Formats: sequence, structure tokens, C-alpha cells
Amino acid sequence: MAAGRRMREGKRGMAQIFTASADTRLRAMLLMAAAALVLAIVAGYASQGYGTVVGWVRDQPVPFSHRHHAGDLGIDCRYCHGAVETSSRAGFPATHVCMTCHSQIWTNAGMLAPVRLSLAQDKPLIWQRVSKLPDYVYFNHSAHVAKGVPCVTCHGRIDRMPLTAAAHSFHMNWCLDCHRNPGPALRPPGEVTRMDWSGWDDSVESHRQYAALRVRVEHIDPVKLTQCNVCHR
Amino acid sequence: MPFDPTTEPNRRPPAEIDRRSLLKLMGASLSLAGLVGCTGSHDENALPYVRQPEGVTPGIAKWYATAVTFCGLAQPVLGKTYTGRPVKLEGNPDHPAAQGKSDAFTQAALLGLYDPNRSRGPRRLGTPVGWASFRRWATENAAAMDRRRGEGFRLLTGPFSSPTLARQIRALLARWPLARWHILDDGLFTAERAATQSLFGQSLTLQPSFDQASTILAIEDDFLGPGPRQTLNAVQFGAARRKGDRRMQLLVAEAVPSATGAVADQRLALAPDEAATLLRALAARLGLGIDAPAPGSQQEAWISKALATAAQDRTLLTVGTTQPAALVKLGLLINERLGALGRTLHFSPSPFESLQAESIADLVADMAAGKVETLLCLDTNPVYHALPDLDFTAALGKLPLLLHAGLHFDETAARAQWHLPLQHDLESWSDARAVDGTTVILQPLVRPFFDVRSRHGLLDIIAGGEGNDDRALVSGTWRNAWGEAFEEKWRAALFKGFVEGSRPETLSPAVRDRSLELETKSPPRQGLTALIRPDATVWDGVFSENAWLQETPKPLSKLVWENVVQIAPALAARHGLADGDMVEVSDGHIRLQGPVFIATGQADETLALTLGYGRAIAGGLSEGIGHDAGLLRRSSTPWRCDGLTLTPLGKTVPLAFTQPHQQQEGRDFVRSVTAREKAVETDIAAADFYPPRPPQDPSWGMTIDLDLCIGCNACVTACQAENNIPVVGKAMVAQGRAMHWLRVDHYTDGPGDAFQPVPCMHCEQAPCEMGCPVNAAVHSIDGLNLQVYNRCIGTRTCSSSCPYKVRRFNWFDYTAGDADSVQAMRNPQVTVRSRGVMEKCTYCVQRIEEARIAADRENQPLGEVVTACQQACPTQAIVFGNIADPGSHVSRTKADPRNYTLLEEANTRPRTTYLARIRPEDGEG
Repeated sequence: MAAGRRMREGKRGMAQIFTASADTRLRAMLLMAAAALVLAIVAGYASQGYGTVVGWVRDQPVPFSHRHHAGDLGIDCRYCHGAVETSSRAGFPATHVCMTCHSQIWTNAGMLAPVRLSLAQDKPLIWQRVSKLPDYVYFNHSAHVAKGVPCVTCHGRIDRMPLTAAAHSFHMNWCLDCHRNPGPALRPPGEVTRMDWSGWDDSVESHRQYAALRVRVEHIDPVKLTQCNVCHR
Repeated sequence: MPFDPTTEPNRRPPAEIDRRSLLKLMGASLSLAGLVGCTGSHDENALPYVRQPEGVTPGIAKWYATAVTFCGLAQPVLGKTYTGRPVKLEGNPDHPAAQGKSDAFTQAALLGLYDPNRSRGPRRLGTPVGWASFRRWATENAAAMDRRRGEGFRLLTGPFSSPTLARQIRALLARWPLARWHILDDGLFTAERAATQSLFGQSLTLQPSFDQASTILAIEDDFLGPGPRQTLNAVQFGAARRKGDRRMQLLVAEAVPSATGAVADQRLALAPDEAATLLRALAARLGLGIDAPAPGSQQEAWISKALATAAQDRTLLTVGTTQPAALVKLGLLINERLGALGRTLHFSPSPFESLQAESIADLVADMAAGKVETLLCLDTNPVYHALPDLDFTAALGKLPLLLHAGLHFDETAARAQWHLPLQHDLESWSDARAVDGTTVILQPLVRPFFDVRSRHGLLDIIAGGEGNDDRALVSGTWRNAWGEAFEEKWRAALFKGFVEGSRPETLSPAVRDRSLELETKSPPRQGLTALIRPDATVWDGVFSENAWLQETPKPLSKLVWENVVQIAPALAARHGLADGDMVEVSDGHIRLQGPVFIATGQADETLALTLGYGRAIAGGLSEGIGHDAGLLRRSSTPWRCDGLTLTPLGKTVPLAFTQPHQQQEGRDFVRSVTAREKAVETDIAAADFYPPRPPQDPSWGMTIDLDLCIGCNACVTACQAENNIPVVGKAMVAQGRAMHWLRVDHYTDGPGDAFQPVPCMHCEQAPCEMGCPVNAAVHSIDGLNLQVYNRCIGTRTCSSSCPYKVRRFNWFDYTAGDADSVQAMRNPQVTVRSRGVMEKCTYCVQRIEEARIAADRENQPLGEVVTACQQACPTQAIVFGNIADPGSHVSRTKADPRNYTLLEEANTRPRTTYLARIRPEDGEG
């Protein structure tokens, strides 16, 4: 059209440096850059501690120290989380379990007052969950423990934590990394509560065979382990 | 309780917004939408026990044997509980009357326990008060009664079989000799008792053995239909039908189409009065010396066929107990002639403990005469249930004090000065007898969560006691009975679910009196006859408040949330009526209004009405639904009403069906074979471009035997309980949005009626998996078609691709408004779905996973997996298992020549297949 040609040629009839769509393109570029920035921030948020609460300690009714109980005193994980070998949930210990010891030691400690109160009033302690999966994930502890996945694999060095925090993000891709190649994570099922497996990697030869042997003998098939119904019903 | 789309959070008020603001809003929400998945929201609490009970592990189910009572008789169940919360009931596999099976009422009893509309505390004149208040009144009353020896005190109960309750009532009557006990009987066993009393000189209960029979003749007896004996009858029927070459023949004669008629090898439609003619003709042909008018040609054909098949041995004739006692007695005489007594028909003493009670008619007469001061209605609702000609409600005007004890604040409670809430069977200590007479001890699955008492506790309070130790009351009865052996027998009874050896010996009584008082000539009937029966899903109203049962489709009409005036096609044609047209049914005094439903195969001039509707429970689920057919009942004829007129009212109401269209239109959804040629023909060659998949172990598959399915809906209700399926309400069902994962289709064309349960087919070449844009519908290597709820974005492409239409979409957040008690009922092994998510039958993947995990954990081979529907089905029509194992039951049924695929031409390779029905040969049908 005449007006368009006039625009293209300008007042003195020269060609324009910027085409009519230059504005649009610039704005599109800026928008995409802004979107990419937002996406990067979001992705960073999702994967770092702020989004995944890895390493973040939660407020608990009692500042329970796994380092003291599991680390220093050497109490086995299953003393308190006994259901882990038979049930889908490891469970929290009943107040009664805490009181098996604390009715005799530290009986006047202020820190333990909520525990004594719970027993006296018959009201449960309200713990803040640290290792929590979304409701659409059906995780079964007993299957993992029976196969010999050590507690430390998912829960980290609990025996070094004065206050409990998550050691891993529990994102699906993290779970899948193991389910796609379970061999290296497996250890003798009787030793699952052992926290320190650093020695395992030293005698590499025999232990490298261990993973392959376990997988072969027990017909551990990553294809079967990565079916959706294994975790999502 | 049922989903209501007009309430929060589903109501979206219309928003006044302009285009620019809308675009801004859209842009902002789009950018924010991505952040939704990013929160590390780990802020959930864990509340462990304070003192963990021995043997309870969170996450592991515990099973307890108990029972739920129905019509006063026990339905034995195993209750599955997770940390003290019952989530599922299954039939008790050890109990001879259940054999592990159940019916729809038993499965839905779970919701009865958690019913949010249950009465939660005592009320005095409608105002909530505490039990202490009632106990004070009861103590004073007991003292007054002691002085007056019980004069003016009356107790009204329904029929029951609890020895403990009977013991308590007898003790009360012994203490207060002038007090009297009356019963509001449901009339189910009246004719049977009268007939046996007349024939044998003692009142007995019939114990048919359908599994022993090679021919069953059922005249007006829907023995496979709903009722306290349905489970046992269906179990026996299934056993008889599975016998292969010696497969049992069933011949039925009835006025109203029923499930028994649907599965019959031959069904005769009779007018209600013709049942007598048929029986008499049969008796005459057998040489019983009965004067019989000549039957019609169809009846003659039926009789000939009956006699031909009955010539082989092991025949059983059964006459429905809604028939007059004289006809039931004639039926027994015919059975004697056929040699059924002692072989396919046995007798036992009545399992009921309520036989000594006096009639309600006496009570009403005394009330009207002013002789009654205090009436306690214990777990009975006379204002609704009492037959209208008794005029109970009018007599209430003369009653100074009415106490009502029941599960709901029902019609009688609304008229009572005191309302006391009762415990549900699943949270009670009690005892009862099953249909075969075996004693069952009921133990609670959970501590009551409302402020309620059991019937035993209440009677204890009435007697001046505390009423809080039911276990002592119940064990007291058995301590007396068993003496030294109490501890051992009590523990054994609680563990096994019944008292070993408590089934009474079957009797072989001698016939005393063969006289029959049959009307020689029935008067010509004017007007229409209505047959009044308990409803197939709400029974006589005891389940009106149960949302699952309201939404369970009636087996034949597939109607929900409604009762109708069911008429024959000929009658409809004469009046120009279609489904849903409102009509008025009147006998001149009572007028009932209801929508019409046309049922093929119903006798002309006969209406079928069902009880249980027309309730007046304020704020209840059933309020304002349907009409009360009980208004047409009379004490002399409780199951029929004659001389009725039908007047179209000229308006139509929408009816809600789960299956509005019941014709196959020439297609072969339900296939039949003859007994001789048992192979299903198929002319479709299975073509496949892809290489065959390597066989996997396990590979899950299912067969459903259409020759065994009786359409009882036990599977549908079991699936609803197991899989947390929500209730959506009448409006949604009318739109085709019912949520039952398993539907039972009913077809009326083709060679007779047929039922076809349709779960997900789990197609190997599933169209739904190809359609899903986000891979929420995927296929597992063991053959399951999976639905991953957290991936689903609700495009509904899968459902539109599915040729079987087995997928259900959550159009709204159906579970958002759930009461706390309903949330507690949910099975923790199954996701509770939210809005916008597609769901469907999963072959009970939670049960498969449980078995797989157990096998992994214990290093054992994979055990048997039983789906919820398979577990509940009394005829064992549903068979599920590993088709890669050649020895499994399902592999055998899949190899049966009757096996065929639904919609074979779709080439979807379903893992769910059907076994064709077996029809009589042409010319014999």
C-alpha cells in the first residue's frame, strides 16, 4: 500500500534500518530472555535446598539427636523404627519406646519434658516429618530393607546428625537412578543399618562382583523396577 | 454426603471481568502455574502411638472375624482394619453359610458404620443430651417398674437372632411380669413358618441345597435376588452351574422380572394369581390328587418341561415366601412327591430368637385402649415400617412416652420423647445366627466414635445398669451355656468367626396334615395388582441412608436414587406411557405418585413397587426421594395390593440410569452357546503388525463367566469399598457420570436376559494408552493398563478412545466435601482421586503390589492375588490370576471353548474375556 511503501522508504526515500517487525522481534527476544531467567530461577529453586529442604532441620517437639542415640550410643535403627522390616512404613517410635530408657535415665531433663507429658496425658508427640514423599508415591520400606538397601543410602549419615534433616531430595529421578541400576546400592540384607560403607569400596574386586551377582541370582530387572505401578497406584 | 455440584468448592460464581483484565490474569497465572510443583512442602506431621498395642503395626492390616446383621440374621465377614480402622469387609471363608462370599448389602455395611448421617448422641425431645441424663431417667423408671411389676411398659423390636438379646429381654420380662414384648416382623419368613407348622406340626425354616439339585423349579421365588439368604443361595447356585455336563437346569415362573428369571434356562411370565394355578396343575400332574383347572398353553409347556427335567433325580421346587402359606405348603407337598425332602430340601429350627414376641397388632390395640404408658422401640422404626392398616401413628397419640433406639434419627425418632443412638454391628459386641443356624459372635472392629450404645448396653441401662460392658453381657450368655469349656470355645469362636458345631442338625419331620386350603376359584380381579417387594438396593428402608446403596443401580432396571412404578410394555402401550412419565396409583383411598418404568417380561396388569423410599428423615440422604409403596400394604396381604387404578399425570421426570439403553441391537456383546456345542464361534482373524511380545511371568488376566453372573452387584459394591470410589449423586449419574469402575450391563434382547460385568479390559493394544498426551495411561510388563493419577491432566482423550467405555473422569472434586468419618473409611492402599483426573479399574493393583512385595520380601514365589470383585462374587463368576501359569484357574478358564472377547473386531486384545452363556437347545427353550 502506499502508506507502507512510504514507511519503508522514509521521508527522504531512504531504506529503513529496522524493519516493521523489528519491534516485535525485540520484544519477543526480551520476553524469551525474561522467561528463561524465570525458568532458571525456578529450576534452581526446585533443585536447591530451598525447594527440596535438603539439609534443612525442622522444628521438633523434642530436639532428638540421632547422632547421640544412633551414633554415640550405637542403638540400631530398628529399635525405634521396628516396622521397617515388615511394613511399608518405618514408623515413628511410640512414646513408650522412648520411655523404655528415659524412665530410668535423664528422668528430669527439661528437654524430655514433652515425652513425659505425652505419656502422662496419653497424647501422642507431634513430629514434623523430614523424609516425606508425596501422597501419590507408595513407598515400601520392607521391600528395600529385605533386599539390602542400607538406611544410609536414602537417609544419609543419620548417625552424624545432631538434628534430623533430609539428606536427599527424594525427587523421582533420584529414585529412578537407583531403580535403573540397583546393583551398586545393594548390600547384605543383614547389614542394612550400618552407616559407614567406606570400607566397601576399598575391596573393590569382591564387592564389584557382589552387585552383579545379586542382580543375576535374584533376577533383579530394572525393567520391572521402573514400571509405573511399582510406586504409583 | 453425595456430591452436590451446587455447593462449595465446586460452585464458581459468575465473574464480571473485562478482556484486558482477563488477559492479564491469564498471563500472570500461566507464569505462576509452573511454580506449583516446586515447593518443598514437607510440612506434614507424624503422630505415633503413645503405647503401641501388641501386634499392631502401622501399614499392616489386621483381620477380625465378625458379622453384620441383616433382617436379624448374621452375614459372616472378615473385617480388614489398619491401625484400628476398618476399611473393607469380606465374607468369612470358613463360615459354611458365607464360604468367603458376600452380597451388596454386606459390602456396603462398611459405609453404614461410617455414615455421617448417623445419630451421634441421645436426644430428649429433639435436644441433644448426655447419656447420664438418660441413665437417671432409666434408673427412676426401673424403680417405678419394679413397684408396678412392669405394668404399662412395652418393648418393640424387629426380628433378631441374638441369644444375648433374647436372654436380656427374658430377664427383663421375668423381673417385670406385666411388661410385654412385641415384634414388628418383616414378614419374610411368615408363610414358611405357617406352612411348616401346618404340614409338620412345628414351625421350621427351609434349608434348600441348590448345589445338590440338578433341576430347580422356582415359582415366584427370586432366591438369587436380594435377601438374607442371597449369598448362600448364590454360592450353591454357582456350584451347581459349574458342574459341566451335569449342569443344573433352572426353570422360573414369575410375574415381575427378577435376577433369578434372568439367569433361568426357561422363564415363564405369570400373572400373580396364576402362580396358584401353575402349582396346582403341577401337583395334579404329579398325582397329588389336587383339583386343578386347566393351565394355559404356555403354562402347560412349562410344566411339561419341568416334569421332563425333573424325571432325572435331584429336583427342587421352591415357592417364594411372599406367596400365601397354602401355596408354600403345596410346594412342600410337591417336593415330597419329587423326592426332594431330605435330599435337596432340609429343615432346621428357626435361627430367630424373637419368635416368642407378641404381634404388633396387639400392641397397637393396647396403645389405642390406653393400656401402654412407655414404649421402647429397640432398633425398629414402626412409624415408617408398620403396615398402614394397623394405624400405629394414630395410636401414638395415646402413648405418653415413646423411646426410640436406632442408628438414625428417623421417622419414629422424630415422634419420640427420647431418642437413643445405637451402635453399628461393626463396632459392637453381640451375637447372632446365620441363615443356616450357625452361631456367630460379633466382635467390634473399632471403638465407637460417636456417643452410642449397643442394644445390649441399652437394655442394661433400662434395667438400671451402667450399660458400658457389652463384652461381659455377651460373654455372660456363653459362659452360662458352655461352663467349663468357655475360655477355649470363646477364643475359638472369635478367631474362626462362628461357634464350631453350632449348626442345628437338619430335621426330617414327618408329614402330619396334608390338607390344603386353596381358593378353588379366585374372584375376577378388578383393576391392577401391585406386587410390593423390598428394594434391591435399599431393602425395606434400612439402607436408605447408605449412599453407596442408593447409587448402586437396581440389577435389572439400572436405576439409581429412585423407586418407580414398574409396568409391563402392554400396559404402557395402552396408556401411552414411556419411562419417566409420572402416574398415580390408587386403591381409592391411598394415592401414590411415581415415575413409570417399563420392564419387558413383566406380566400385564401387574405393577411392581419397591419399598424403602418415601422416607421422612429430616436432612437425611433419602429425604424426598421416591414414594412409600408400603402405604399400599395390608396385614392380610402384605406383599400385594389388588384393585388399583393407574392414572397418567401428564408430566415426566428425568430418571437416572447407569445404563439407559439395554438392547444389544443385534450385536454380540453377550454370546450364548448351546449345551451340546460349547464352543464360541469366531470369524475374526487376529492380525498384528508387531512381533509378539516375550511372555512375562506374571501376566495378569481375568475371565468372567456369564453363565454364572446373577447381577447381584456384590462386585460393584466391593470395588467401591476397596478403591475409594466416590458417590456422585443422581444428577451426575443422569449425565452418564457415574463413577463405578465396574459396571454390570443388563441386556433384555437376545435369547433372554443377560448380565455382563464390565471392568477395564486391560487391553494389550490399548487405544487409551495411544491417546494420552502425557503418558498417564501406560502399560506395565505384567499386562496391566495403568493409570498414573499424578500425571493425568484431564484431557479425557483416553476415555474417548476406549471402545468399552470403562474409564471414569472426576468432573468435580467429588471427595472434597467428605465428612471426617467418610475420610476415615478410605482404603489407605488406594489413592483418593481429586478433580480432573481419570480413573478406572486397575485389576486391584494395590493387591497385586502387596503380593509382589510380600514375595520379594520373603523370597517366595508370587502368591495368589484375588481382586475385590472376584473375592465378593458369590457364584465365582469372576476369575483372576496369572495367565502365564498354565496351572492357574484363570488359564483353565481362558482355555475353555466358551471363552470370547468383547468387541473382538476392535482388535484390542483385552486381558479380560468372557465365557459365553449356555442356553437350552433351540426347540427346548
